[in-house]
Amino acid sequence: MGGVDVEGAALRRLFVLLFLLPAAVQAHVGSPNVFFDGAAGPYPIRVIVRPPEVVPGVAEITIRLKEGTADRVTVQPVFYRTGIEGAPPPDAASPVPGDPGLFAAQLWLMTQGSYTVRVQVGEGVALVPVVTAPTRLKGMQRGLGIVLAALGLFLFAGAVTLVGAAVRESGLAPGEVPDARRLLRARVVTALAGVLLALVLIGGKHWWDNVEAEERERLYRPFAVEASVREGVLALDIDDPRRQESSPFIPDHGKLMHLFLVREPGLDAFAHLHPVPQGSQERFEAALPPLPAGRYRVYGDVVHESGFPQTLTDVVDIPAFVAGPATDPDDSWHLGGDGGLTWLKTPLVAGREVDLRFQAKVPLEPYMGMMGHAVITRPDGEVFVHLHPVGSFSMASQQAFERRMGVAPAHLHNHPASVVSFPYELPRPGRYRIWVQVKSGGKVLTGAFDADVLPFDADVLPASSP
Amino acid sequence: MESTAPAAPPTALAMLAGSTSIVVGILWDISWHMTIGRDSFWTPAHMAIYLGGVLAGICGGWLALKTTFAGTSGERDVAVRFWGFRAPLGAWVAIWGALAMLTSAPFDDWWHNAYGLDVEILSPPHTVLAAGMIAIQLGAMLLVLAPQNRAAEGTDRSVRRWGIAFVYAAGAVLSMLAILLTEYNYPNAQHAAFFYKVSCAVYPVLLVAVARASRLRWAATLTAAFYMVITLAMVWILPLFAARPMLGPIDNPVDHMVPPGFPLLLIVPALAVDWILQRQGKQGGWRLAVGLAAAFLALFFVTQWLFADFLLSPASRNRLFAGDMQWSYGDGPGDYRYQFWNQDEDPLTPAGLGTALLLGILATRVGLWWGAWMSKVRR
Repeated sequence: MGGVDVEGAALRRLFVLLFLLPAAVQAHVGSPNVFFDGAAGPYPIRVIVRPPEVVPGVAEITIRLKEGTADRVTVQPVFYRTGIEGAPPPDAASPVPGDPGLFAAQLWLMTQGSYTVRVQVGEGVALVPVVTAPTRLKGMQRGLGIVLAALGLFLFAGAVTLVGAAVRESGLAPGEVPDARRLLRARVVTALAGVLLALVLIGGKHWWDNVEAEERERLYRPFAVEASVREGVLALDIDDPRRQESSPFIPDHGKLMHLFLVREPGLDAFAHLHPVPQGSQERFEAALPPLPAGRYRVYGDVVHESGFPQTLTDVVDIPAFVAGPATDPDDSWHLGGDGGLTWLKTPLVAGREVDLRFQAKVPLEPYMGMMGHAVITRPDGEVFVHLHPVGSFSMASQQAFERRMGVAPAHLHNHPASVVSFPYELPRPGRYRIWVQVKSGGKVLTGAFDADVLPFDADVLPASSP
Repeated sequence: MESTAPAAPPTALAMLAGSTSIVVGILWDISWHMTIGRDSFWTPAHMAIYLGGVLAGICGGWLALKTTFAGTSGERDVAVRFWGFRAPLGAWVAIWGALAMLTSAPFDDWWHNAYGLDVEILSPPHTVLAAGMIAIQLGAMLLVLAPQNRAAEGTDRSVRRWGIAFVYAAGAVLSMLAILLTEYNYPNAQHAAFFYKVSCAVYPVLLVAVARASRLRWAATLTAAFYMVITLAMVWILPLFAARPMLGPIDNPVDHMVPPGFPLLLIVPALAVDWILQRQGKQGGWRLAVGLAAAFLALFFVTQWLFADFLLSPASRNRLFAGDMQWSYGDGPGDYRYQFWNQDEDPLTPAGLGTALLLGILATRVGLWWGAWMSKVRR
């Protein structure tokens, strides 16, 4: 029970609708957890945020200090609209027994939208952007269903019996015994009460179904988009009424959209393009690189001004065509091979933190501000994630919060190196494909790798962590 | 009081305490959610609610076991049989209420996991909980009503004592009904038609039934007065405690417990209900219902309409009337706080008042019927 301000709630909803996003949004597909590799002041840390599947709900957060020790680690949820002034006091994260340097906390996230978790270690601060959105409707476990049904039946029988007993005896003088007329009346009223209560229960079921339908409606859906190809140009039209009401897109790594094409079913052709808006931000276009004809899955990563990231998806058939010049010099594609990269493999277990490390034979330089980009998908298209060495969060979201909160920009450690590492956790068992993109000597190198992920209960040693 | 109900006094008092504890607990809990937000199974507000359920369960259970297995003939003579056991009717209703409260707990827990923590008062699991709590309160009412009805008419002092206990129990039920309608009871909602429709459909049922069943002359008035006393106590006490939001986003940085709104002035139409019933005696059906409903609506409308103007004015912004204090940590500042809501969508028109009157007549008729039945409850 709680806040009961009808008008205020309506105004807030309107505000969200007008300035943020109407429905829940979320970056990536089928991979809601957020990974952050960075620093809180002098402390190098890794943060993993597991957002709730329902909103309001509890996010599970772990913070690992990669170096040093700290007496106090706190986490604080900051909602974009209300900023740090509207944030509740920070919560202390508890040290996890038996794992020095690891802290855990739970945070209530009350509103769907764009949050950042403000992690403080000593005096050092890190911002980890998180998006909340209802993503799943939970069914009722069979056992609980049986218990509740039994209790409900008991209450029903009790209520009906109670009505009968009241009619039969409650009006009698002390010691008096009900006569035949009273007994008959009690039976009739009992039956009527049964019918009435059954009607009430049917009404209740109807109510419940309505709530379920409303919740289903609230579940996260990215903007509806339509991808099309004409004369070697890929167009992505955002065909969703919510676009009009939401805040504009902002650049991430200098691009308004990072669009990935993955050929189905073999996942054997891949492109990373940067379509540009045509007039408004409702149509984006990019010249296609020389890709083989076929059916492609389209994943368009965008970030709203409020720090909301989302991945817009569609499927498009690309016919044979003659490729022209690229729209953006940073566009890249891949048709096979490891790009001169070697995967320093460790066992992969679903739901377990891992560092995906790749060794290059040449010194690497930043590619669009990052030492590496990784894209991971499954053949069924149910998982898509775009990772960086700093994690899975959107850099543009982080920058939006830095501006909003007046926090100094996070320092990126883009030291020249020949190894690039991505923190992640494969969400489910099965086969995945990983594309890794790095840059060396001004040239983008892309390598494709297959990964077989074991079930969570697989008997392997924990993946190494830094 | 007759010697046939010896077990009643302590259990009846405990049940009344339980009923009060539930109302206080719910008002406290709503304030908790509007102020602090974050809660656990063990918050004091939750404890107060559980205490009400536990008291009802223990008292009702004890009455059933004692009457069934160790009851005197006098106790057994004023009991109602239920699945082979015996106890006063009120005890059975309270036991049912305690079980319904218990059932709502796992249901509500699942609900939160499935659909998120709800921020509304009325949801299906909360309705089961509310049904349980109201059953406990009705059980307390019936438990003190039966001895009143068994006592001989006349000067018996116990009639008065049980009568007061009965209207107090009814006042707790009225408080509960008003709590359930909190979302429609904001002063800002009191110039829209829906407020008058829902008020006429709900409150006369209880006020008229109590007036009809009680042997006190001003039973409805006292019921409304007890509702005001309970609610006002919370309006005045809660803000004395410092507290701050532990959840965000915070649009309204409250620094004290948010009080409930000033209670409805139901005492004014309740006076009319008592006055009319004193003159009409125990007779009358639909015609009486029409008269009662018309008087209820006329007085309630005039009183509450004007009082709502006052509650939205700067003159009410003090500790006494708690004007402009009912906003939770999530309710940002804005003109909406000082405006009447839904004036375009749901203005109060003659047709709206007509609907409210019709609903009031139906509610009053139900109240008369229920009151007539209650006046015969002797076990």
